Amino acid sequence: MNDLFADVGYVSLNHVGEELCGDMVEVVRKDNELIVVLADGLGSGVKANILSTLTSKIISTMIAENMSVDDCVATIAAALPVCKKRGVAYSTFTIMRFIENTEAEIIQFDNPAVILLRKGKNYEYPMNERVIEGKKILESRISLEQDDVFIAMSDGAIYAGVGQVLNYGWQRENIIAFVEANYDYRQTAKIIASSITDECNHLYDMKPGDDTTAVAVQIRKRKPCNLLFGPPKDQNDDNKMLALFFSKQGKHIVCGGTTSKITAKYLGKEIVTRVDYSDPTIPPAASIEGVDLVTEGVITMARVLDYAKNYLQDNSLFEKWEKQNDGASEIARLLFKEATDINLFVGRAQNLAHQKSDLNISFSIKSKIVEELTQCLEDMGKNVIVNYF
Amino acid sequence: MEIRVCIGSSCHLRGSYDIINLMKSGIEKNNLEDKVNLAAAFCLGKCGDGVSIKIDEQVISGVTAENFNEVFDTYVLSAV
Repeated sequence: MNDLFADVGYVSLNHVGEELCGDMVEVVRKDNELIVVLADGLGSGVKANILSTLTSKIISTMIAENMSVDDCVATIAAALPVCKKRGVAYSTFTIMRFIENTEAEIIQFDNPAVILLRKGKNYEYPMNERVIEGKKILESRISLEQDDVFIAMSDGAIYAGVGQVLNYGWQRENIIAFVEANYDYRQTAKIIASSITDECNHLYDMKPGDDTTAVAVQIRKRKPCNLLFGPPKDQNDDNKMLALFFSKQGKHIVCGGTTSKITAKYLGKEIVTRVDYSDPTIPPAASIEGVDLVTEGVITMARVLDYAKNYLQDNSLFEKWEKQNDGASEIARLLFKEATDINLFVGRAQNLAHQKSDLNISFSIKSKIVEELTQCLEDMGKNVIVNYF
Repeated sequence: MEIRVCIGSSCHLRGSYDIINLMKSGIEKNNLEDKVNLAAAFCLGKCGDGVSIKIDEQVISGVTAENFNEVFDTYVLSAV
């Protein structure tokens, strides 16, 4: 194992007027492997959705069980229902398999060729052609380097804008130029994927003429981040919890008024507060020497959870938390963009004043936030460890 | 004079943002910038009856936009 981490993110646009997407992405993390399969079913709507779901699910499961590509192709050929109108059973696919963060195996059938950015520039990698069951399959093996970005797309991306604003669509070269121009190693796979589909959506004048999907995998350096939320149930555990919290590598975030006070006391430093609101709905963040970020607790974290849920969907609030300087936006940037391994230290003390007051900030709300946020962070592919005190 | 407005969770929900803005404009209107230092506080321990503010060593709870002027006159204007 090296200290790299494969971050994966994808976004799909549906064919205008369709409820279901005919492109499907399956992500499987298993042991030290990441398997990503993108399938694009023939046509659009329900039929395409069934074809691509079957294809991506079958392939990702079989590859994860170490079965050969030949077996996968034979299985889909036998399993896919034949389209009555067209007389064929057909779904394209791209398989990207990352082994121990050291090597990538790329297997492609009829999707636009995977783009590899190395040090932010397009990198042409060798492909071997092989025919399996009459299908032309392209296979590659690539040694990974830090900051490599792999981008797979369905053909909806390269046809974006055909007959509308562009004569020949948004060709692969154009997409390469676009991702090179927007390259920033600090962006996440999800942000790279959504920048491509946003551009496609514009070229389609917001009415995609085809299901359009972009999947990005970014090979990043592992970055731990630690977040402390709430004082421990037993006051006598204050020092124990804080000692453990500060013994961890990486950034340290402290959330909560009382939590900040015990932290300041433990470190022997002052809490420096601000009265300037970047967002009137979120209490302003503060600072304590030795802590990377200090915020209010439950209101800030509830907002972080909103941002996390949105990030996993269409990421439409990204523009907001990318730029704002309130506590919730800063936490979102640290947890979603920067961190790969997250330690949550959750104190179970009940704030009696909160329980008594008419405000809806009881302890059960707090534990619900932690639970849901943990799930969201895991869905982002991060390693999350929750410690209760 | 040191004024701290609580921005803890429950005071925030009861309107710390408005109180801070009222405080800023009150200080400005009366030209007290040199005499008063305004800051935020993390939980003054009176969560049940916020918004709480702390003026030097005295904690005043239950400050609202409605009673703000009264509080400002009593505790700030008459004291500086």
